[in-house]
Parts: sequence; C-alpha cells; structure tokens
Amino acid sequence: MPTAIAIETICRRNAADALHDKLFRGVLRVCALLVLAALLGAALSTLWGGREVLFGDGWHFLTSAQWNPVENRYGAWAPIYGTLVTSCIAILIAVPLSFGIALFLTEIAPLWLRTPVATAIELLAAIPSIIYGMWGLFVFVPFMANHIDPLLDSSLGRLPLVGALFRGPPLGLGLLTAGIVLAIMIVPFISSVMREVFQTVPARLKESAYALGSTTWEVVWDIILPYTRQAVIGGIFLGLGRALGETMAVTFVLGNAYDFSTSLLMPGTSISSSIANEFNEAVGLHRSALIALGFLLFVVTFVVLLIARWMLRSLKRKEGNA
Amino acid sequence: MTDLAAVAAPIAPVDTTRNKIAVRDLDFHYHDFHAVRKIRMDIPERRVTAIIGPSGCGKSTLLRVFNRIYSIYPKQRAEGDVLLDGENILDPGYSLNRLRSQVGMVFQKPVPFPMTIYENVAYGIRHHEVLSRARMDERVEQALRAAALWDEVKDKLKRSALGLSGGQQQRLCIARGIALRPQVLLLDEPTSALDPIATGRIEQLIEELKKDYTIVIVTHNMQQAARVSDFTAFMYMGELIEFGDTEKIFTKPDKQQTEDYITGRFG
Repeated sequence: MPTAIAIETICRRNAADALHDKLFRGVLRVCALLVLAALLGAALSTLWGGREVLFGDGWHFLTSAQWNPVENRYGAWAPIYGTLVTSCIAILIAVPLSFGIALFLTEIAPLWLRTPVATAIELLAAIPSIIYGMWGLFVFVPFMANHIDPLLDSSLGRLPLVGALFRGPPLGLGLLTAGIVLAIMIVPFISSVMREVFQTVPARLKESAYALGSTTWEVVWDIILPYTRQAVIGGIFLGLGRALGETMAVTFVLGNAYDFSTSLLMPGTSISSSIANEFNEAVGLHRSALIALGFLLFVVTFVVLLIARWMLRSLKRKEGNA
Repeated sequence: MTDLAAVAAPIAPVDTTRNKIAVRDLDFHYHDFHAVRKIRMDIPERRVTAIIGPSGCGKSTLLRVFNRIYSIYPKQRAEGDVLLDGENILDPGYSLNRLRSQVGMVFQKPVPFPMTIYENVAYGIRHHEVLSRARMDERVEQALRAAALWDEVKDKLKRSALGLSGGQQQRLCIARGIALRPQVLLLDEPTSALDPIATGRIEQLIEELKKDYTIVIVTHNMQQAARVSDFTAFMYMGELIEFGDTEKIFTKPDKQQTEDYITGRFG
C-alpha cells in the first residue's frame, strides 16, 4: 500500500504554487499595462509637441482651413475634413461590398470555391499600401479622369444640393479617388472578419429560421446579422481605423491641396498625408502644427471608437437585453 | 379529397384515423451516402408518431424531409414521394412557403432567435401574414398559451429570449412553430438538452398539442417514445424495420430486430 504524501511536502508545494501564480499574474498585468503606457505616451507626447499650435491661438487651429507655412498660419480643418470624408467614402463602399463577399463565401458559394477566394482576399490584405498608392496613381487616377469624373460631373453633378459634391474638372486625383482606393484596401479586413463570424452562427439557428419559411435574405438580415452584430461592427471599425490612419496610398492619389472644397472630385489633403508630405522640411511652429495634427488623429480615432461603443449599446437595448 | 394514400398503404396502422402524411419509396442521399432507403409509412392525423432507432439510423434525416429543410444544403437530395394530404411535397412545384407554414419544426437544442420573446413568436407570422398590431398581439399570446409558456413570460415579452431557461426556450421554439398554425409539428429530439422537469413539461405539452396537430417526434429515449406516442416507427441502417401501435411495438413487436433494440440488446 502506498504511503500518503507527507504533509510538509504538500505545504511546500502549496507555497510554490502560490508564488508561481502570483508571478504569472504580475507578468500578465505588466503586458496589459505596457499597452496603456504606450497609448498614453503617444497621446501625451503629441499633445505636448503640438501645444504651441493647439493652445496658442484659441480655436483657430481647429476651425481654420488655412494652412500657410510661409506666414506660419496653420488651420487643421482641411486635413480633418479630408480624413473624415475619404474614410466615410471608403466605409460606404467597403461595408456593403464586404458584406456581400462574406455572405457569398459562407452561405452561397459552392464548397470548393470558398477556401481559394478567402485566401485571395487575405492576400489582398497583405499588399503594402505603397503598392496600392502606386497603382492608384498610375492606373486608377487616369481611369477616374477619363471615365468616372466626366460621367459624375454630367449626371449626379446636375442634381440640386448633392450636385455640388460631384461637380468639378476631371482631374482624377481627389477625395473620391482616395476614398475608393481606401475602400479597396479595407475590404479584405472587413470581409475576412465578417466571414469568420458568419461561420460561427450555429446551423440550427439558421435552420430554425428557414423552417419558419424565411428566405435567405431574411435569415441573413434577421438572424445572422443580429447574432454576429458585435463582431461585425468591430470589423467595420477595424477597417475604419485603418482608413483614418492610412498614409501612403492616400498621399499618392489625394492631390495634397489645402484648398477647402465641397466637391469630392477636387484634390484635398488628409491628416496623415499632410504629415508624410511635410515632416521633412518642418521646423518650429510648422513642426508643432504637424505634431498637433497627429494628436488630432488620435482624437478622431478615439471619437470613432466611442461612437462604435455607443452604437452597440443602443442596438443591445433595442433587443431587450440592456 | 379522397385518401389515396391510406388505401395504398400496405402497413397502414389499424386505426380509423385519417392519414396526414404518406411516405412512398423515399430515398435520401447525403452526397454519396445513402442515408434512407425505400421508406414507406403513413403518419396518422392528430396523433403522435415516434421515430426511434440507434444513432445514424436515418430517423432525423427522415424528419428533415417532411419540411424539406435539407434543401438549404447542396448535395442533399430526396427521391420518392412524401404526400401531405395527398399532395407530393417533394414536387419542386410545391411551394416552400406553403410547406413551411403547414409543417413546423422544433430542433434538438433550443434555438431562440437573438430578439425579444415577443419578436421570436411574431417573426415567423410576419413572413406569411400581414397583421395589425392588435391581431399580432393576440396571435403571439395564443401561441405562447398553447405552448404553456404565457404565464411565465407575459410580463417580460420585450426582454431578450436568450435570458430564458433551457426548458422555457424550447417551449418558446414550440410556440414559434405553432404560431404559424401548422397542421404538422416535427420534433427532433426536443428534450435531449433538457433536465427531467423541463422534459416532463414538454411531454405534457405534446399530449395537449396532439388534439390540434399531427406530431412526429424523433427521440433517443425509448421511455419517452412509449409515454408520448400513439404510433412508433423503428428504423435501423436507413430502413424502416417496423411501424405500428406504440403499445404493440413495445410489448410484442413482429421483428426480432425491434425486440432486440427495445430490450436494449443493441443500439
């Protein structure tokens, strides 16, 4: 008969286990805190670096659209506007497109087609943004200038109110072009997130909706989307975050003009492309203005995330599980 | 309508009730697997018919043919005839909407939709009918009452259905099915994920529901089949071995295989 383990051995073992657990928890805590420290450090240092411009002249920096390094007058409105508009266009195009791709791949496509297409989409995400920028400038910009811009100008451009958005010379470069290139860049992100989460919807949930007579569209809209809502919105905001911060591709095709214009066909600028274009020759107040722009990008991204949170919460309330 | 099916049935149950569903030479294939072979059986109206058999015998597959739910998957196909009131539901011309409003289904695990309790029941109705707010409230209440759930949820209709207990969720799924006022209710092991008390309530409910509905239940639990059903079909390896009065099947079955299974000698 085996003898029982000595009581001292057990006690020693207990002490060692407690110590290990404590150490492990400590390590995990440090990992998490590192992220916070990095975030806070980046936010504070951009805030500090941009303080001259941000606080030097009241609200001027935020409200003015004038960006003049010669006279040292800086207003961030044009880059903020450009960033928001190009990202909005990108999201407006990319979300329905990704939704369609993800649904096709999970619900409709024959099995043999699913994996190759999904892999292709993931490869698309791996293309560096400078390649997209180059393709945009050399291939897509001329296409926009020759075909799309004139078409928009002569059709949508004639409408009252919204017409102003689509009027302008066929330059090819501009907010719309940048938005479309961004859309192509973020489609892989959004669609692969959507595809992954659509696959997690239990078959029996879909079957019970089909058993009530639902069409594929009804199953998608009423069952799959609400079920995966959180992750889908997360995926969209992942794409949006990328669109907001994207630099190289946008710099190539946006035109880099600080002239504020309502037309989407006109060149504009964005926060990150302004920084990329000018950081080389920036000194003094100019440098401070660029760093302040960086801080604004932080703020914009943060606000966008807050909106996402708020949207999720109100959706949840509507469903009755607040 | 004359009941051709009943006349033609070689193994019609010894009962004067009308047959609701007549299965004729039904074969079912998953891709290249022949899951159900040449089934012929008659399912009487307003009775509970249980389908029993070991795992993989094709009993769930057979059930899934009755509302053509298999058709959402590629590479699954059924051949033969399944007559619902004399009309072949496997005929591509038979409207899927019509079929699914006539044949409701409840699955193994409770699957409430991610919506409120009220919406869970109203959802299916909305697809088939346009009702006023008041009429819809009435229909939802009726369905929840019929599923013996009304008293438990009447004060929280606007809450998420995901907050209900497993047994309540399953009764909600039954309510959702009968809200469409079907004639047939298919139950695919409806209590396999529930505790004994919740199971008892569902069995009680089945007893109630058979006054209005033709019920087909697939179950792993032989005591359950004996308790709730009027007729029992025993399937093995995709074939229908024996079909008849539940009492007879469980006391003196004709086939040796049936007796072996019932008495627990295999399966």
